[in-house]
Amino acid sequence: MTLRLRFDDLADAIEAHTREGEFACALLQAEQSDFVRVNGARIRQAGLVERGVARLRLVQGDRQAVHLLTLPGLHSPQGQALRDAAGAGRDAVHRAVAEALDHLRALIVDSQADPLLDVNRDPVVSDDRGALPLSKPFDRAALIDTIADAAGTADLVGFCAAGPIARGFCSSTGSRQWYERHSVQFDWSIHLPVDAADGGERRAVKASWSAAELDPQALHRAVLMSCRDAQVMARPVRRISPGDYRALFSPRAFGDLLEMLSWGGFSARAHLTGQSPLSRLRNNESRFSPLLSLAEDLDAGFAPGFQADGYLRPRRIALIDRGGFSDWLVSPQSAREFGLQGNAASSGEAPDCVRVSAGALAADQALAALGTGVSISNLWYLNFSDRPSCRVTGMTRFACLWVEDGEPLAPIEAMRFDDSLYSVLGEALEALGDRCERLPATESYDGRATGGIEVPAALTGALRFVP
Amino acid sequence: MRLVDERFERLMVRRSIVSPIETGTDRGAMVTVWLPHGVGYCASADLSGAGLQRAVEAAEHWASLCERCGVFDAIDLHALLDSREVPAVDSPIVQPLPARSDLLDLLKAESDTMRCDARIVSWSAQLAVTHRIQQFHVDGRLRSAQAMQFVEPNLIATAAQGSLSQTRTLGGQYNGFCQQGGFEVILASGLLGGGARIAAEALQLLAAPACPTGSFDLLLAPDQMMLQIHESIGHPLELDRILGDERNFAGGSFVTPEMFGHYRYGSDLLNVSFDPDVPRELAGYAADDDGEVAQPVQLIRNGVLLRPLGGGLSRARAAARGVMLEGTANSRAVGWHRPPIDRMANLNIEPGDSTFDQMVACVERGVLMRTNASWSIDDARNKFQFGCEWGQLIEDGQLTSVVRNPGYRGVSATFWRSLAAVGNADSVAVLGTPFCGKGEPGQVIRVGHASPACLFGQVDIFGAE
Repeated sequence: MTLRLRFDDLADAIEAHTREGEFACALLQAEQSDFVRVNGARIRQAGLVERGVARLRLVQGDRQAVHLLTLPGLHSPQGQALRDAAGAGRDAVHRAVAEALDHLRALIVDSQADPLLDVNRDPVVSDDRGALPLSKPFDRAALIDTIADAAGTADLVGFCAAGPIARGFCSSTGSRQWYERHSVQFDWSIHLPVDAADGGERRAVKASWSAAELDPQALHRAVLMSCRDAQVMARPVRRISPGDYRALFSPRAFGDLLEMLSWGGFSARAHLTGQSPLSRLRNNESRFSPLLSLAEDLDAGFAPGFQADGYLRPRRIALIDRGGFSDWLVSPQSAREFGLQGNAASSGEAPDCVRVSAGALAADQALAALGTGVSISNLWYLNFSDRPSCRVTGMTRFACLWVEDGEPLAPIEAMRFDDSLYSVLGEALEALGDRCERLPATESYDGRATGGIEVPAALTGALRFVP
Repeated sequence: MRLVDERFERLMVRRSIVSPIETGTDRGAMVTVWLPHGVGYCASADLSGAGLQRAVEAAEHWASLCERCGVFDAIDLHALLDSREVPAVDSPIVQPLPARSDLLDLLKAESDTMRCDARIVSWSAQLAVTHRIQQFHVDGRLRSAQAMQFVEPNLIATAAQGSLSQTRTLGGQYNGFCQQGGFEVILASGLLGGGARIAAEALQLLAAPACPTGSFDLLLAPDQMMLQIHESIGHPLELDRILGDERNFAGGSFVTPEMFGHYRYGSDLLNVSFDPDVPRELAGYAADDDGEVAQPVQLIRNGVLLRPLGGGLSRARAAARGVMLEGTANSRAVGWHRPPIDRMANLNIEPGDSTFDQMVACVERGVLMRTNASWSIDDARNKFQFGCEWGQLIEDGQLTSVVRNPGYRGVSATFWRSLAAVGNADSVAVLGTPFCGKGEPGQVIRVGHASPACLFGQVDIFGAE
């Protein structure tokens, strides 16, 4: 409620303080987040962060300038205090926006005509709030008690982010587009004691739980289950040699691999400036397996339906279709720069709401289908080792297991892989899981992220581990 | 209360088109309540009296929960608080920055220079300047006030032909040349007149053969040493990682508390310091974000590990476990909206006595690598694989052919023991990165790394297509 209130203040202020002959708009990114870090199932660091940043843009003719403005306060008092604070907050936002617009007018003096200027000036109104939680406030004590009780003596390390996040686009011509989600996300790992006799290898399992609001019973069950899952890691570590191995990727690990394709793989700009890892796919010099299809699909619900220039995004864009390149993402600026048909992509031209088509491999048949090889729960620190050939390196992490004849036998030590995805997800790809897992983004570097992926497990016949 | 008032400006010319000028202001406060055995915080941009009072209440609520079920049971947190005033410190600015329009002209000139060949398909010249004022108050008393100006110039050129492409930059694609100061930073960066070199080197790489694969000597220039120090010395020595705080995200460390004081981290030639006083280095400061006065200290001396990168709170936690460690004032936050955690600051390799030419001359078969392009390391910061923009073979003591896509692998715990020569002061460059990621919630912070060129013996080197 309060985030929306401040967004309306922002929109009102922009409409009030824009002068004739000017156009102004803003993209708001806001959150009210309780953050809790947990180490050893106890609080390491906890607090509340309230922050709203408006990317304010002023256009005069063919020139524009941008100013990022932190809104002065997003708090949510009750009763009379709410009414008093609402008035004070509104006044503060109006003052800040008026000052920022004056600052932008001065900046435009130093600006040049921008041939890539493109912003939607049509008034678009939308309101996407998803499933809102019940009216009761987030129960911080219940979260802590639930984690501590369920973990017991287990060494649980985790992070909880709770509260609303929002994105809004507004303009001096009356646009008010709004996206808001409330969630409690708890992401944790259960760590076993380091056994020096077993090479000092660290062993842990990773898990996550999220919902629109805290459900202590459900969270308790999830933590208990992860504690049970951790027991398989107590077996002695299996050391394997570098070489090619059959590999079963969990949905999360497969999602991490596919995320590398977002590093310019679908960006029109990256393709046209020699920086895309999927140039050979687009040029039909390489292909992925026909099993692989993925799309940017807003119906997955991970991200707003509008972008920073105020344009509505297409509901669905097929990016890879049965292993071949299908379409790319074109921002309004790239459309102008390269003479392309735009599809309202963000300036980064990376998908943030991805659906991967499921396959036919049933979860209870996956280990049998793997036979002998490695089951990979998580990957870590991926990067391109050779972008044109889509060669990616990274590490295994958490519960990665050595499997023989469909039986998980032992955790493996952390291994480095270095392989081309044209191979791992090309000829070597044998099957995709028959069910997708829904994985919302958990990044919080510059505020809690929107975005996510729905992705199945994947079975490949060869993944190259290196020394 | 930590009050941060940050203003920034970003200028960019991309493919000879001037991007919209982008500025920003970010002002807010983090209120932290320290109870005897619990800490809680609240970050807010509402700096009115009522807003700060509300922040205190929220922070106090979390502190009380932390006291009930936190990691500070055995620690007297109040004993860690120090409210004595620290002298104010500002970034040294020798030459004020020119007017914005003049800076844009400089960037346009370099951009135009890079557009020298049809194979140059992407080119940009950019500059980011951030001015930060930060105050730290304890119980209503001003403890420290610092004003910093961060300057981050860069040039990037990509050359492409067929399905090959090569990118060359001034300081890495993530702004490795970044310092505190004024116009002198831009002058020192090589940006002026650098466009022609960057573009020419991109074209040279495009025509170069792939780096060979095998076990060779490796000579790393400072703009790759920066990343090597960062990933395989800096992160493993962060005490919060050693205490397990980051095991769910950024990872732990192969270093254990018992190693300090005797563990052989590298060869006798390895000397590593935490030095907040190096002029212009990016992460210089007078006091950290918990108010501890920052002073230069050696972390590794003659190859032996002495102390971690650990702020006061982490040291107290280690002491409560029976591990008494000296540390560093490195409890840092990226802004008002994030709480401080153990971070690298200025983490440097001290110069040795070899000239660059001497190091080249003593190599029979080796590769010189410059400028980081790719990095990956395990969650204990041990097994790594790094790639560089620029490679050049060293054969029989001579620099010879340029090679593209050079990369190497190693293990932190053994790699530094293969340090065979350390460049003298003439080879030192003061670099860093504005983009060190860590923490939950995430924080991307500025760190400085000054290093000479360094030679390593018999490293697993490889190339790519």
